Amino acid sequence: VLADRPTFEDLYRDYMGRIYAYVRAQVQTSADAEDITAQVFMNAYKAYARFETRNITPAAWLFRIARNATTDHFRAHGRRERLRRTIERQPVATDDPAGMAEERIQYRALLEHVAVLPERQREAISLRHSGLSFEEVGVLMSCSEDAAKMLYHRALKALRESVREGEA
Amino acid sequence: MSEEEDIDLLALQRQLDDAFETTRPRRGFEDELWLRIQTRRPFWQRLQDLLAGVVETLREVPAVPAAAVATVLILAIGLGILARSGVHLGVGGASNTTSATAPLSFGSNRAMAPNSFGRLPSVALYPGVPAPHAAGTPFAEDGSALAASPIPSNLYFGPATLSWIGQFPALSAPALVYRYQEPPTVLADQFATSLGAGPGKPIPLTPGYLGSYVAQDFGLSITKSWPAPPREPRFFLTPVGVGPSAGDPQTAATAFLATHSLLPTAPYTVAVVPFTVQGQSANYVRVQYLREFQLPDTSTAFLVGPLGDRYGTEVVFVEGRPYIADGPLPVNLDSASYPLITASQAIQHALASSPSGSQDINPKPVVKLDRVELVYALAVSGAQGFYEPAYLFSGTFQYQGQTMEKRVLVPAIDPSQLNS
Repeated sequence: VLADRPTFEDLYRDYMGRIYAYVRAQVQTSADAEDITAQVFMNAYKAYARFETRNITPAAWLFRIARNATTDHFRAHGRRERLRRTIERQPVATDDPAGMAEERIQYRALLEHVAVLPERQREAISLRHSGLSFEEVGVLMSCSEDAAKMLYHRALKALRESVREGEA
Repeated sequence: MSEEEDIDLLALQRQLDDAFETTRPRRGFEDELWLRIQTRRPFWQRLQDLLAGVVETLREVPAVPAAAVATVLILAIGLGILARSGVHLGVGGASNTTSATAPLSFGSNRAMAPNSFGRLPSVALYPGVPAPHAAGTPFAEDGSALAASPIPSNLYFGPATLSWIGQFPALSAPALVYRYQEPPTVLADQFATSLGAGPGKPIPLTPGYLGSYVAQDFGLSITKSWPAPPREPRFFLTPVGVGPSAGDPQTAATAFLATHSLLPTAPYTVAVVPFTVQGQSANYVRVQYLREFQLPDTSTAFLVGPLGDRYGTEVVFVEGRPYIADGPLPVNLDSASYPLITASQAIQHALASSPSGSQDINPKPVVKLDRVELVYALAVSGAQGFYEPAYLFSGTFQYQGQTMEKRVLVPAIDPSQLNS
């Protein structure tokens, strides 16, 4: 089993960008995304000696850690406040100009719509478009593959409505 | 769902794909985070990685037959041996050197009467000599010994037919021998305190350690002496966290050592050696402060290690940031003068020397030794270490299209003053 594992550096190089994107789609600032991404890989590094590919793919394993770290972040940084902003659609604090200049996001507006979706819909879209299969999304979200597909499609429609409302 | 709605959703999916694909952190974040991960690791794990990487690199270098490099188990303590490996692998770029002089001092020194140390242990090269696992060597957290350091593929220490065709330098006799007493734990504690570090997590299975310490921004380990291959007590400092990427490595290394009060006080020459580690894409640079000993004629002689390579204090940079620093623990040195052998005696001893390594090339190579350098080498005996003058002879020969270097180390002290 260990022989099938990529080296941690390979895993890091392959997935760091995708994990960052997944996290960034859910938090409001690049600084938060960096902090959470760092925590994800610190945690992954500590746990990698015990990781086995028998039960879960490396990608799903990493995204599980990322999902937990993001949840912890929301808990620690005032989930209630974020929900209030979401409901009221209030503008949120933006990145510092230097951070915005350096971060590479071409579809910032679209991801802001993703960020305000209900939690499970947001996760379904973020995980799916981070490259995970519906089976992997289902494993991470504790549901079947079919349920993950349905959740994703509901999320997609909700996102489309959110975008349309924004355009209107 | 209408066809129009389907097209809308497909378009949205494509935009999401693009959005996630193009969402990436700022430039430099990936390497910064990788370095943060690495700098959280204790020094022996970093060392293990580096050694393993170098071992892999060496395996890929076409060289002498496997039998000739099979016994490559010098258990490395510190990056000094790595440094030597790196230089001879040719994996680095150019090295530049500058000189600096400082008072000859590891703490306070005392001059002793001639020959006052009595008979001395003899210095030698130690290619392919593994350090026993039982004691005195660093261990990984699981108790296994660290990776072994191989002999660089272009060095040969096996049997050869030798002749001398070089010019012997003028001798400066007699020369001084320097002696230290094995430092107690309390000295290691004092050294750590002077750097601002306090007691850290005990290292498991570590008979070779004097102590382990932590400070706010670095970890510190101090190891004891070891007799064969000989090494002096050494410190290993590993920064925690990531500072800004430094510019010029030599300037950065000097500033880093000065910040931690670790700049050598003895004479040294600086060498900057970029190197690569198999399987790692990061940029590694080693800045070495090669230890020198003052000779009576005001010139200096370099300190050499188990393979005849110069060593001293060094700082390894990864992606421009300090990764690990190690060097001799500052200890008091006594000195005493000893008579040196003559040039003709030194040449005779070199030509008659036994192979120092178990490498074997058939037929036995014919090597014309054409260079000799007065150096200092370490011999450890009991609770004392001795830095003794020696002659390092070398010459090259061709083997399977590769230029190989043969090295012979001859003690410069009169044999009557050496233990048999």
